[in-house]
Amino acid sequence: MKIFKKTMTLLLATALCGSLLAACSSSEPSKANSNGSSGGSSSEKVEKIVFAMPSFNRIPDDLSVVTDAINKITVEKIGVEVDFRVYGPADYAQKVNLALQSGEKMDVFTTLGQFTSYVSKNQVYPLDDLLPQYGKEMLAILEQDFGADLLEATTMNGHVYGIPVNKGMSLPPSFVYNADMLKEVGFTPNDIQSVDDLQKIFEAVKRKYPDVVPFGPINVNPSDTGLMHLLKADNQVDFLTDTTGIGVVIGNDGKVVNFYETDAFKKGVTMVRDWFNKGYLQKDASTTTVLFSEMIASGRGFAFMGGYSGMESAKALSAQMGKNVEMKRIAPYYFDTNAVNLVSWMVNSTTKAPEAAVKFLNLLYSDKDLINTILYGIEGVDYVKVGEHHMKLPEGKDANTVSYTAMLSTGIVGSESLQYQLEGVSWSDVELKLKENKETVRSPYFGFIFDQSKVKAQMSAVNNVVNQYLPGLVTGTLDPEIAIPKFVDALNDAGAQTIIQNKQEQLDQWIAAHNK
Amino acid sequence: MKSNKAKPGALKKTMPLLILAVPGLLYFLINSYFPMFGVFIAFKDINYAKGIFGSDWVGFNNFTFLFQTSDAWIMTRNTLLYNLAFIVFGTICSIFIAIIMYELVSKIYSKLFLSGLVLPSLISMVVLSLLVFAFLNADSGFINHSILRPLGIPEINWYSEPKYWPYLLVIIQLWKTAGYGSIVYFASIAGIDKSIYEAAKIDGAGKLKQIRMITLPLLKPTVIILCLMSIGKIFNSDFGLFYQVPLNAGALYSTTQTIDTYVYRALMQLNDIGMSAAAGLYQSLVGFVLVLVVNAIVKKINSDNALF
Repeated sequence: MKIFKKTMTLLLATALCGSLLAACSSSEPSKANSNGSSGGSSSEKVEKIVFAMPSFNRIPDDLSVVTDAINKITVEKIGVEVDFRVYGPADYAQKVNLALQSGEKMDVFTTLGQFTSYVSKNQVYPLDDLLPQYGKEMLAILEQDFGADLLEATTMNGHVYGIPVNKGMSLPPSFVYNADMLKEVGFTPNDIQSVDDLQKIFEAVKRKYPDVVPFGPINVNPSDTGLMHLLKADNQVDFLTDTTGIGVVIGNDGKVVNFYETDAFKKGVTMVRDWFNKGYLQKDASTTTVLFSEMIASGRGFAFMGGYSGMESAKALSAQMGKNVEMKRIAPYYFDTNAVNLVSWMVNSTTKAPEAAVKFLNLLYSDKDLINTILYGIEGVDYVKVGEHHMKLPEGKDANTVSYTAMLSTGIVGSESLQYQLEGVSWSDVELKLKENKETVRSPYFGFIFDQSKVKAQMSAVNNVVNQYLPGLVTGTLDPEIAIPKFVDALNDAGAQTIIQNKQEQLDQWIAAHNK
Repeated sequence: MKSNKAKPGALKKTMPLLILAVPGLLYFLINSYFPMFGVFIAFKDINYAKGIFGSDWVGFNNFTFLFQTSDAWIMTRNTLLYNLAFIVFGTICSIFIAIIMYELVSKIYSKLFLSGLVLPSLISMVVLSLLVFAFLNADSGFINHSILRPLGIPEINWYSEPKYWPYLLVIIQLWKTAGYGSIVYFASIAGIDKSIYEAAKIDGAGKLKQIRMITLPLLKPTVIILCLMSIGKIFNSDFGLFYQVPLNAGALYSTTQTIDTYVYRALMQLNDIGMSAAAGLYQSLVGFVLVLVVNAIVKKINSDNALF
């Protein structure tokens, strides 16, 4: 017993030492932070902010050169020093969340589709008071490129919580196909006007090339054939800012319904089921891990569906797949809130320098030098300017060998109208995208944002059910006659009705407030 | 007075052992005991502006999502039954392997085979999922392409037929872990006094009888300790095995959904640490209670074999 006591004392002592050590180490970084805002050439105090950007390119180990170039612009123009961080797409959200949760310094960050979640957890700073003073140029260019209603998509409870990236937002559903094969089977692009024209083309492809799979999912794991995107645009469905599809409004009747119970959904999946039964899709389309673009690249696939802005995306796809790929729009696009706030820049709610962050955002959207430095690096070293609107990589270099480039992040940062385009991309395409921004039909509920906090448990359960059934339905592997009733039952069991009711109440309130 | 003098001596004796235990104890302190402090997060609605301590208490609200649907029954059943199967078949296979290895005459061969059997446990689940995919792929997989098709048996779309997966997952798990698990049993068997076997031989006992009457009874304490420890984790599942290996296929959820995969899928989009903490707490509590119950039962039957 006495030995036991001794052991315990020893243990406790170890534990204490351990916790003391832990306390020491955790206090270090905060010290470093507090004296961080020294230095700077101007008489005004230079404020420091952390800015994190996702990049789809190779991320260089040393960002100091491009960081210095960015700071040269920002310190001079707005007196803000930027700690520039670049993360890959796979770990971006994780790095940002970790920083937010641990209280590490992180001022300006973006999201891919999680805007509402950040706002409902109070992780982002309301910008409405600061924008008129520090964000004038940004507001002007947003209005010019999209329309004054852009910020409605990031406004909740009367506060602006984020700035959507300013680019071509309209993503009309398009049919992407191997153009050589289409010609061989005796059709022209003009034969494709709507989704109903596809069946006869698939049939012809199947007959002429028995080894080629005519149609496949654009994304895998979970498999997505672009069908939901098409149905949404075709039937003017507003998803009311949650991607599950539970609680949508079709058209403008203001009635929230479960999209999976509607005839529009049934018609769509029945069509794909028909394609599946006729052998136009792979047998394992719902679980395959091979991207269909790879199938096309290897000559074993013919076409897929997806949403693309502008008219020139097919060029990039052709280059990527090494085949003559073309695309044809098969329906106009429809703007709901989610379509616009999908990529939004936000300011951390615990930031010490909200003014500096907004000043930086202002520059990020309106300053040509800053935008292009962030995207392409140093002129003359990392890229060469061609004409007024274009750039190319230096002679003998490609995106992997140049010392810095984030050229694949053009859809994530700043204003597309100020970005240099890769040489060969027609400038009129950018103008077309901006024109479509203004002309695309807005949902009457554009700007409504669903607050999920009261139905979190139901949302999580519903997510699971959707993951279980949707990939099978949109690839035709499940028979809609049997699967839809089961799917709907499972959704209701998971609390879909509660979500719909909750959404309806919020929408009614929003409509009442909006029509005042 | 006397007892006071005895103390330093006792400490001196145990000191080397204590020092040996320090790294392990520190590991548990840092990785298991300090984080326990965060248990209260399971009862909070985390709000970043208010901070972790300032956030509102929400009672058991964070737990409701676990029991929201009939999935709660499916995932609990799957988790329990799979783990039971792993414990039962895993123990049997491991002991079987250990005995065979021990009985091998050539010690070089037995070491060699044992190393080979440990190898699968070093393979990552992601790699393993691709190996399995190479077997089960609908068009070009080994089983469909090279076995079923030549035999004229209709091919099976493995990734959309839930009914095969209970067997597949148990086989995969055994292939991966049985070799590694056999090491402990191998060591226990090696520790059995040789003279017992010699005495048995003189009395005319054959190999099988020796195994049945000596090896297995002497392994009992090891088996019980290892089983008790596995039962503590019976509500946890190997995420890689249940998420990566079935390729996250929706059609297979009815037989591959476990508590861990449900929590991951449900919270991936919500990113709510309160709810994930609640799920973790639920799993640990149930595991803890089960260990106490099973230990009590063991104690009742044979108090020498109980853990505590």
